Amino acid sequence: MFNLKFSLFSHTKELEQKIDMLHDKIIEISLVFKKAVTVYLKEKRSSEYRHLSKNIKDIEHDADSLRREIENRLYMHNLIPDFRGNILELVENLDKVINEIDDVAHKFYIEQTDIPAIYHDKFKELTEQVSECVENLAVASRSFFRDLSAVRDYAKKVYWLEHESDKTSAKLKEAIFASDMELAQKLQLGSVISEVADIADLAENCIDQLLIYVIKRDI
Amino acid sequence: MELTYLFFLSSGLFLGWSLGANDASNIFGTAVGSKMVKFKTAAFISSIFVIIGAVYGGQGGTETLGALGAVNALGGAFMVSLSAAITVYWMAKIGISVSTSQAIVGGIIGWNLFSQKNTDVSVLTKICSTWILCPLITGIVAILLYLILKNIIKKSHIHLLRQDYYIRIGLIVSGALCAYSLGANNIANIIGVFADSVPFKPVRIGQYFQLSGLQILFLLGGISISAGIVTYSKKVILTVGNNLMKMTPLVALVVVLAQALTLFLFSSKGLQHFLMSHNLPTFPLVPVSSTQAVIGAILGLGLLKGGRGINWNITLKLILGWITTPLITMGICFVSLFFLQNVFNMTVYLP
Repeated sequence: MFNLKFSLFSHTKELEQKIDMLHDKIIEISLVFKKAVTVYLKEKRSSEYRHLSKNIKDIEHDADSLRREIENRLYMHNLIPDFRGNILELVENLDKVINEIDDVAHKFYIEQTDIPAIYHDKFKELTEQVSECVENLAVASRSFFRDLSAVRDYAKKVYWLEHESDKTSAKLKEAIFASDMELAQKLQLGSVISEVADIADLAENCIDQLLIYVIKRDI
Repeated sequence: MELTYLFFLSSGLFLGWSLGANDASNIFGTAVGSKMVKFKTAAFISSIFVIIGAVYGGQGGTETLGALGAVNALGGAFMVSLSAAITVYWMAKIGISVSTSQAIVGGIIGWNLFSQKNTDVSVLTKICSTWILCPLITGIVAILLYLILKNIIKKSHIHLLRQDYYIRIGLIVSGALCAYSLGANNIANIIGVFADSVPFKPVRIGQYFQLSGLQILFLLGGISISAGIVTYSKKVILTVGNNLMKMTPLVALVVVLAQALTLFLFSSKGLQHFLMSHNLPTFPLVPVSSTQAVIGAILGLGLLKGGRGINWNITLKLILGWITTPLITMGICFVSLFFLQNVFNMTVYLP
């Protein structure tokens, strides 16, 4: 029985580390994404952008393997039976955010969207809001495992940043569609902006779920 | 003599079996139901600790039951146990989890009435007071434990997974403690009425280990409870737990821990001596109901959260069951003793 308990403890510890690593990956990908967009705006598909884009892809792969390992371990070792379903959902929602960041970075790489210089500042602002939103999501999610009372604070930040990113993306689209650009370019830019803003929307969905888990855990 | 004694004892062992089948759910019901502990682990631990508790801590409660009515003939003891077993089984069948303690007290009073012996009112009051005191104390203990543990968890920032690990260990340890207390406290209900006519001789195993005649009787009772746990408790365990209130693992742990502590308060001679030696009020050593203790704890925690999650219909049904159980057992015992004496010509009491 002591052997059993010892192995349960080691599984618990390993899973704790995997969950922490997944959160690290989210923070890392949001920072790399912010840098990649800045580089793209300056140099378009330069070698540095290619390097950053590859970096994003690698982080996404690592996060995928971590997610699978977390899910397998949760069920294989029968850990936290009452919250297993919720943690599974949370991990999958976090993964959706990571995938979306990877998709957007790849979209820049493939489509090589031409963003006129007059929109660069607003575009940077939008990217910063989205990136910060994702970072706060990662911290909120990490807090869910250690300090429930802190989740609400970070959730508030996520909501605020998502709202700000909505406003920025709306202003950007308004300016673009009011310009003299070709309709095709307007539509392509509008689509890129929507996808960047979608990252924050996914983070917001994730936080909505997280707050429900907090209430459930608090009962 | 021993064979006749064993025949009569069979009703007590039957009662033990049904106690094991029913009350194991009070110990590990929520832990197994929430998949925190496997049934096999739960059954193994509770069986062992129930026997240890019965053999080493069963004397206190037995003395109090003996004071209520010393059932002095084997036929009488047989019927007291059987009527209690029938009531518990019947109530369980209609879905009311009742207390073996109340059933056995009702049976003893039925025997007292039939044999025209006086029921010691002060002892009866002492026992009846615990039927209110036990759930009340368990409720208060549960609230205090919950607040303390919740505060520790909040301040310590332990990872959710590690909390789960500690709660799992806590459920196993407190389950073992609870099984020990159940054995110590409830063994009197099972075979306490046979204690006056125990025929077993002391047995020495090795140089230091010795079992008195009474302890052998307790060992048999303990084994019967274990048999109930191993053979029949799984079904009850899997249905219990979330009926009265939705429970998280922490709540489950608090309920088991509060129950173990309360049963210990009402069965520990050592604690009684300690309190007496320090001029403090003592707890009566009375067999109390683990079912009542569990329900007291759940209601206490439910009220702490504003009473929203409590299923009051089930609660009222349970309380009604607690009132009727001793009365029904008393009636069954009285009528059955009449038949046993007049139809089967058996001695059910000595004048």
